[in-house]
Amino acid sequence: MEQQKGYKQELRGNWWLKHTFFKRYMLREATVLPLVFFLSVMLVGVFSLLDSVQFEAWQRLMAHPIVIVMNILALIAAFYHAFTFFELFPRVMPIRFGDKLLPASFIVAGQWIAVVAVSAGFISLFLHFGGAQ
Amino acid sequence: MNRLKGLHLEPLWWGLFSAGGVCFAVFVPAAIIVFGMLAPLGVIQLNFDQISLWFSSVWGLMFIGVVICLPAFHAAHRIRHGLHDLKLGGGLLSVIICYGAAALTSTAALFIWFY
Repeated sequence: MEQQKGYKQELRGNWWLKHTFFKRYMLREATVLPLVFFLSVMLVGVFSLLDSVQFEAWQRLMAHPIVIVMNILALIAAFYHAFTFFELFPRVMPIRFGDKLLPASFIVAGQWIAVVAVSAGFISLFLHFGGAQ
Repeated sequence: MNRLKGLHLEPLWWGLFSAGGVCFAVFVPAAIIVFGMLAPLGVIQLNFDQISLWFSSVWGLMFIGVVICLPAFHAAHRIRHGLHDLKLGGGLLSVIICYGAAALTSTAALFIWFY
């Protein structure tokens, strides 16, 4: 590529603070931070399964107020990410029936139904575990 | 920086990011609700023997994939590009640190499953 000559506008690290649209973009990108926290404690949890004493220690860690607050933030982040992500599906992959286009709102609703179904299934599995004790 | 001896890696990173994005939206909330909220609040009782038996089954392997590995690569991709947006780091170092951390996390979780 040819080297650009003459005036070159500099882009600073705070460019995204100048417009609401950019701020929303950065908020979506920031959903990764509580996700990283959750992934870290889950990884610790996986390691704690090697031994029942470790597993109890992990459960105490998960019950720490700061950890609970961070996990609530992670859930909010997951939902905000889902909200932005599900909007993309009908744009990237529009679904057609013959010459009729399936309304985008149907595809978005379908994805939210999947979230509810997976969560309900997972919760009921672990409620059942508890009941079987 | 996206090529390794003529091999284009960007589609791989984007594919993992995309798959991880689906998992972050669909599967991660369920795991947060159960392990991050209901269990610590005492609504769900986690029994070590039952959980380790469940974890060592093929369901546990799927759980690692959709709740840890793929979201980790999703996070790595977002952090790599987020750093670029903030005019921090960048280049090959960001690539190695971000995807390297995701690869390490995934390997560690999978190691425990196979252990």
